[in-house]
Amino acid sequence: MEKVFVSNSAEETMNLGKKLAKVAPSGSVFCFTGDLGAGKTTLVRGIAQALNIKSVVQSPTFNIMKIYFDGERPLIHIDAYRLADVNTDIGLDEYIGYETGITVIEWPDFIKELIPSNAITINIINLGENQRRITINSDDSSLLEGLN
Amino acid sequence: MVTVLLDSSNTNLSVGIARDNLLLESISYEAWQRQSEYMIPELNKLMEKYDVKKEEIGEVIVAKGPGSYTGVRIAITIAKTIAVALNTKLYAVSSLRAQKDGACPSICLINARSGRSYIGVYENKETILEDQIMKNEDVMAYIAAHPDYSVCGDTKYLGIEGKEPNNIKEMLDLKDSLESINPLSLKPVYMKD
Repeated sequence: MEKVFVSNSAEETMNLGKKLAKVAPSGSVFCFTGDLGAGKTTLVRGIAQALNIKSVVQSPTFNIMKIYFDGERPLIHIDAYRLADVNTDIGLDEYIGYETGITVIEWPDFIKELIPSNAITINIINLGENQRRITINSDDSSLLEGLN
Repeated sequence: MVTVLLDSSNTNLSVGIARDNLLLESISYEAWQRQSEYMIPELNKLMEKYDVKKEEIGEVIVAKGPGSYTGVRIAITIAKTIAVALNTKLYAVSSLRAQKDGACPSICLINARSGRSYIGVYENKETILEDQIMKNEDVMAYIAAHPDYSVCGDTKYLGIEGKEPNNIKEMLDLKDSLESINPLSLKPVYMKD
């Protein structure tokens, strides 16, 4: 099932992130796609804020993974960009979908074999200026309805 | 002579110290992703409590895997460092074997994720089934076929209750059956490679 949102500002994108965190059960995996600057990290910041995480959230492009423990649930943030064409068997499977946390993966296509089939995929397209089209796909219809 | 015992091969953190083969104290708790932060401070606390000087450490026993990719590397890295820096003996035990239930035949399990388990079956000093990776349905069938065996480890992921391991004590008890190993040649056991 698919749901499409249009965001007119970074703030609206943040708010959508907050809603995502509220509806997502523990163990959820989000896969974010979209060009650089599309707003993937902004969406993650919204999720982090809803979980009461106080740390500054930045994409772990260099370190591949960051885990935030200081919120209501652990937030596992993976940026797979640097894993293109390398051996991805570095134990990431132990984190993705971790039972009590929420996992967010940027550039999921580089670790396709590690993405669970029930992952929620979110694509962000830059429509120009501050406008973004955010398309959310999930098998879980109640999750999508919760975003209204 | 003091023995340091370390295991962080699953989501647990276990540290123990023994003097003249007598366990003084061991601590063990869940510390997912924080084992690297806590292992050295926990060891320090125990050493201070029992007034152990680092020169007294004569051997280190470490759980070498299988288990968590990062977890097994944490204990092994610390164990190797102590062994090299203080020139002590080093022993490595299977993480599964360290979970066995004393002398009882024991099915030792660690979650390998993706519907699989690390399994090893031990009875006393004997190995009944070598450490391996197995699909969870086959694990359940093995358990069903051996109702008199003790199921050991954190097996909530299988929907069953396993016996909580006394891994540090087991590791100390197993020492006599092990050969000491050159710290530079010790490698973690990670069966997914």
